[in-house]
Amino acid sequence: MRFIANITFLGLLCSSTCSFGNAARSACNSDVSSFKMSFQKQTDSTEEDSAKLKVDTTRFQPKSKRTVFSALESKGDNVDPKKLAIFPAFTLQQYLKGEAAGLYVQESSGEPGTVQNMFIRGTSQPLVSPREQFATQPLVVLDGIPLVGEHPFAYDIQQYKFDRIGPATNSLSNINMDNIESVQILRDLGSTSIYGPKGANGVIVLTSKRNSTVRKINFESYIGVATPSPVTTVNGKFENTFRRQFYDKYTANGSYSDIDTYPLYLSDSLNNDFYGPADWNDLYYKNALSYSVNAGISGGSERANFRFGVGTTTSGGVGDGTGADRYTTRFQINMRPTDWMSFTAIINANRVDRQRNRNVRDRLSQVNYIPDLSSPIAPNSAKYGNYLNQFDNGFDNNRSNIVEGLVKVGVDLGGFKFNSVFGVDNNEGYRDIFYPRTLLQTTNYASNYYGFSRRVMFDNTATYDLKLNDVHSFNFAVGSSFQYDTYKYNYAYAYKGANDFVKLNLLESDPNKGSYLEPFVFKRELVWKFLDKTRNNMISFTGKASYNYKEVYTFSAMLRADASSNQQPTNRWFYSPIFSANWDMKKDFLDKNDFISDLNLRASFGRMGRAEAFDNYAQGPQYTAFIGFTGNLIAPGYNGFGTLTRPYSAGAVPYGLEWAYQDQLNVGVDFAFLKNRIRASVDVYSKEDKNQLLGVPGAAEYGYNTIIKNGMSIANSGIDAAISADILPSTNKVSWTSSLNLNFNKNKLKALPGGLSELVIGDRLLKVGESVDSYWLLTNQGIFNTDAEVPVAANGEKMSYNAITLKAGDPRWKDLNGDNVISNKDKTLMGHALPVVSGGFNNDFGYKNWTLSVNMYFNLGRDLMNQEMANRFDFVNREGLNNINSVREVTYWEKRGDYSKYPLYNPWSSSAPYQVNQDLFLEDASFLKLRTLSLGYDLTQMMKKKMPKLERFYVYASVHNLFTLTKYTGQDPELVNYTGYDTGYGMQIPRTYMLGVKMDF
Amino acid sequence: MKKIVLLSLIFFTLITGGCKKALDINSTRVVNEANSWNNLEDSRAKLLGVYGLTRAALADNNGHWIYGDVRMGNFESPLRQDLKAIIKNDLKAEYEVVKDLSNWTRFYRIVNAANIFLERIHEVKEKDPRYTENNMNVDVAQIRFLRAFAYFYMVRIWGDVPFITSSRDGSFENVKRSDHNAILEFVQAEMLAAAEVLPYRFSMNDIQQPGQYYNESDSRWNGTLVRKLSAYGVLAQVAAWQGKYADVTVYTKKVLDEFPRAAMGYSTTDYLTNRRGIFFDKNNNQLFAFGFIFGHQDATFVGNIESLTLAEPIVNKNLPDIFVPKDSILSIFKEPNDGRFNIDSTGVTHSQLYFTNFLGKYPIFSKIKCMQDGSSDPTFRIFSSAILFTRLEDIALLRAEALAVLGEKQGAIEVLNVVRSFRYNVDNAGAVIGSYVPYSSERSGSLINAIFNERNKEFMGEGYRWFDLVRYNKIVQRDPKFTELINTGGIYWPVAQALIDQNPELVQNSYWK
Repeated sequence: MRFIANITFLGLLCSSTCSFGNAARSACNSDVSSFKMSFQKQTDSTEEDSAKLKVDTTRFQPKSKRTVFSALESKGDNVDPKKLAIFPAFTLQQYLKGEAAGLYVQESSGEPGTVQNMFIRGTSQPLVSPREQFATQPLVVLDGIPLVGEHPFAYDIQQYKFDRIGPATNSLSNINMDNIESVQILRDLGSTSIYGPKGANGVIVLTSKRNSTVRKINFESYIGVATPSPVTTVNGKFENTFRRQFYDKYTANGSYSDIDTYPLYLSDSLNNDFYGPADWNDLYYKNALSYSVNAGISGGSERANFRFGVGTTTSGGVGDGTGADRYTTRFQINMRPTDWMSFTAIINANRVDRQRNRNVRDRLSQVNYIPDLSSPIAPNSAKYGNYLNQFDNGFDNNRSNIVEGLVKVGVDLGGFKFNSVFGVDNNEGYRDIFYPRTLLQTTNYASNYYGFSRRVMFDNTATYDLKLNDVHSFNFAVGSSFQYDTYKYNYAYAYKGANDFVKLNLLESDPNKGSYLEPFVFKRELVWKFLDKTRNNMISFTGKASYNYKEVYTFSAMLRADASSNQQPTNRWFYSPIFSANWDMKKDFLDKNDFISDLNLRASFGRMGRAEAFDNYAQGPQYTAFIGFTGNLIAPGYNGFGTLTRPYSAGAVPYGLEWAYQDQLNVGVDFAFLKNRIRASVDVYSKEDKNQLLGVPGAAEYGYNTIIKNGMSIANSGIDAAISADILPSTNKVSWTSSLNLNFNKNKLKALPGGLSELVIGDRLLKVGESVDSYWLLTNQGIFNTDAEVPVAANGEKMSYNAITLKAGDPRWKDLNGDNVISNKDKTLMGHALPVVSGGFNNDFGYKNWTLSVNMYFNLGRDLMNQEMANRFDFVNREGLNNINSVREVTYWEKRGDYSKYPLYNPWSSSAPYQVNQDLFLEDASFLKLRTLSLGYDLTQMMKKKMPKLERFYVYASVHNLFTLTKYTGQDPELVNYTGYDTGYGMQIPRTYMLGVKMDF
Repeated sequence: MKKIVLLSLIFFTLITGGCKKALDINSTRVVNEANSWNNLEDSRAKLLGVYGLTRAALADNNGHWIYGDVRMGNFESPLRQDLKAIIKNDLKAEYEVVKDLSNWTRFYRIVNAANIFLERIHEVKEKDPRYTENNMNVDVAQIRFLRAFAYFYMVRIWGDVPFITSSRDGSFENVKRSDHNAILEFVQAEMLAAAEVLPYRFSMNDIQQPGQYYNESDSRWNGTLVRKLSAYGVLAQVAAWQGKYADVTVYTKKVLDEFPRAAMGYSTTDYLTNRRGIFFDKNNNQLFAFGFIFGHQDATFVGNIESLTLAEPIVNKNLPDIFVPKDSILSIFKEPNDGRFNIDSTGVTHSQLYFTNFLGKYPIFSKIKCMQDGSSDPTFRIFSSAILFTRLEDIALLRAEALAVLGEKQGAIEVLNVVRSFRYNVDNAGAVIGSYVPYSSERSGSLINAIFNERNKEFMGEGYRWFDLVRYNKIVQRDPKFTELINTGGIYWPVAQALIDQNPELVQNSYWK
């Protein structure tokens, strides 16, 4: 199947006609130079895949390299990696942000190498925890290997789920855009279907540069400086003045009650640590260097050729000494021992080291122990520097090895072709920690983590071409795919080592001693060890038939059978059909039309299974070892024995769970006018993810928090549009191309399990007919200044919040149902955590050898909850608890937000006046960013005189993240994760100034 | 060429054959039904699972102490708004802890796990010959006891609760709340039945449990499991809560007569307050307790009284979550010669085993302080004290209370004096002397007041206070506000809104509507 596709692709490339395999192949075979290409294509499965679907479903392929749709696609389906490579990105997500219609990227922190999220055409699940985040990520395919993600099962042992244990490095840090030949964002089922259930969230296909048969060298390098944005720092005086307002307003003598205490660190205005200069930012925010060097060599003959590349990239974060380093090497070899057989092997190995932030919260959630938090870190640089120095006595090493390997054998027997791919993606991470005593109230801490995510895959495809005559041609394909995923970690942590010099959790190594293999530096009883492993195997069989009529109409039908070990044995297989069609109207009846240079209509619809990510769903009613409770999830057993009980907190798993699946309809049109000067591609889609599992609150009287049920259905519908215009064509001295890509998406919950119409999960309401990314909020209408203002109902009772009578100083919340009681019934769904419209607006100018690019990125219709401000005002509750939520970072001393927006409520009131879930803290977080401004000069012509072999010599200077336009009052509105609650933990995305060079010779 | 095609086709078929095997993965993270009820180890894991769930239910959000000691008790909270609300009986306040403590789901875990155990345990018996009839009987008795205990605990908190005695796996129908009196009858009957089957000690060749219990010696089991007298002890509490004081005398007599057989004794004040005393680890004196055993890596940061009460200088925490204000201490510990705490009118403390830093703004309630392995190292706040539900002194004072209510004054004083003999036995320097100060109405007030005051002092920080207050006010109806609470159901907690939302059969407690 793939084979045929790539051949077809070749055909497209090397001949001006577009047709199925045979003709194309013969065309190729007749031409040596094109055969090189063919060879390359043939050995590059990714490109084949994409090419095939292009041919089969959309026939979107350019008739020659320079036609309209190759250009068009770079703004739509295809993204031009050459342009992406200008951006000093560390992760794939950073490269792709705002570059393709329908792909929404969240970069919730500027800390390099951290996990980022991508959503293609909205979310198919309510995003409340890392589980849903994992289940909604698109599949990334690198050179034919579907990359494995980091499974969220490790969160199960984590009290605090801010970051996954282990290095928590973005597993898509392994992409070096300079090595990439093409990037495709596949969104509709017609194009994603060949990737199976794992591609149900969309697929991003990356294809590496092809080998060359003549010796070629490429070299790319850049160096840049990231600079922090200025911040306003404050000291204890500011905080004291802020709090005094409340004491003045609501307390008689400066203390709310006799047993109340004013925080020590604010009580003494002579305390220079807190009332002195707030110059911590000198130590926290610093310029950081980013640089990259990357080189590759390629060569060989038609029969055997290779490409080898090495590179290193360093990305510095401007906050807290963070950064990430990557070392890359890649090797690809192609061989054609006989005319009818080809062989390819690829190894892509990456090592990523990360310097993590030193947040108190992240450290404590790792340590899983909350020391006394009554005083925050002082805003004073001497004190803060002192604190930072303590880290030098310990370590926090985060390493990841991300390795992909692929072997592929292709057999071409004329009409019959066979392709076999064996691939491995192994992503392993290490984190070794030692925190000295001085960081944790005289208790030191050591931890070691090793974990891996591994995917082994084996794909086979067989295709057969049948060309009856010039009018009718057919293609048949069958395939099988086996994917074995294993996720595992070994993890241990220990408290109270003997001293700060032995930083390892050493074990007794003498087998003759009774304490063999027991720790002796750390107390045995204070060492906790964890082993966990989960596997998921998936097997698929596919069959596909395509028909082409005169290159005008193309129809294709696919039938899939997918089985996953995470589905119950009684429902293991899922069968689904996918259909697609294409109509080239230009060719059909507009051949003579000069105005319309291209017009193509395509459609696809079908169904795709969605396999579960967790293996417990396959087991039916079950038992687990969990007997933990709030604050202690890891109770190892009872009286030293392991226990088995029902999965009460995880939810009851019944027999008979079914596959969830996606139905998607996509209709797209591609058109070009005025000799391709205006190009556009518009897709309208309606996607519904049906019968999904959801933990429905219930069976509390049987001990369960939830019952897992099928039946949640979430629809995303919208438009992907990419429009591009050569306002001044490149034939002019001055050229100007402007392009816009955007996605409009509407998310709607269509059904809940058991026909429920609404469901409360934590702070969220899932309501049929509303979108799942909305917040559930009380409407704030001001403040009750006196007790007399509180409305009294007919029965003489004053308005209450749940059962608490409202008083002066309490918020005036809108009583929607008019029962004079403010409760959840008075909450409404508002706003969207994911943008309604997102996209990019790019302009490229050319003058002689100069190029100027201006890239903008925007989100519209996105809202955030300003939790950071809610926390500020809710200081009474947060400081009282001494839990992870009472942590204040050094950035506590940074003034963010608009304090004047919020009424002065009585913070001691038990009605929780500053609870975040009210529209007081809801803000419009739409924004427009100038993401890249780059100026380049092409020196090729000039240099060619001295170096005749030179193909490209391009130098550029660029500035990234120039400015953000937004109404949001908090930090940069991008710095928020999928939940939409801005905790203030996102680290600045810095402005970066860069110089770079790219050479091919 | 043909060969290749043929070979690849064969290869295809081979792989297809391996499909089923590849797709049937036995999870390493959960155990499915097929692998669940097969052998002795399964029954042990399930049995101890019910214990573990009970411990979790009591420890969750420090519930046992917040229900018992914090709600309208002696304690105040300097900073925690949620605890302040509970102290004020403001149980619908918008705080996570308050909401969680209104939710009974975690108790129904015990009930459900017990129900499953009772329905399925015969499978182990049938499959594993190592699992003896006696082993099963003793296991079943413990499970029945724990299920009854869960109901008893819930009835004390919520009054009427749904009454479910089968697992109904797969068809979880919503159930109405049942009358708490009927449930308590069930509880009493179940516990009594269990008490008859249970041994005095495990792995001690008790006639009702011969041989090593699950192949472990008595030192492994001491204090960790329900024994015969544990059952009678809790039965005494159940009967007292119901006001069946005649039954209380029967059950308490059983315990007080036979406790030496269970290798138990009264605790001295020093043992009571020692870091390695009655609360530490597991021991036979813990009549009914759930241990967090340091040696088994069970020690926790939360789920114990210490995490609420301790602070500087006992541990390195700035302020305690809760503390007993000085005035309250002075009004509670009024009698001299009290080894727990006594202070004279000149302000000189003669003994202060219960409190540290009495002169500070926040006296630290340091009666219970099992840090790490019972060390005095203040730098790491991990605790290993057991959740001690009842001990011998409780049974003695319950007996005194019952006898007092039934009018057997002399008998009541005798039992009260047994407890007093271990407490009011220190001199002015706090040293233990040979004699003690017995009860007299001049020193300690009326008998019933003296008994309840004694309980207040004795069990401070052990989760008793609220329930004692309820019983006291039922007996002595002098406080109109409290009587009103009792009459209107205000002594119960509200049912969490989350529960009412998911089960339409439930009705909120009338007081909290």
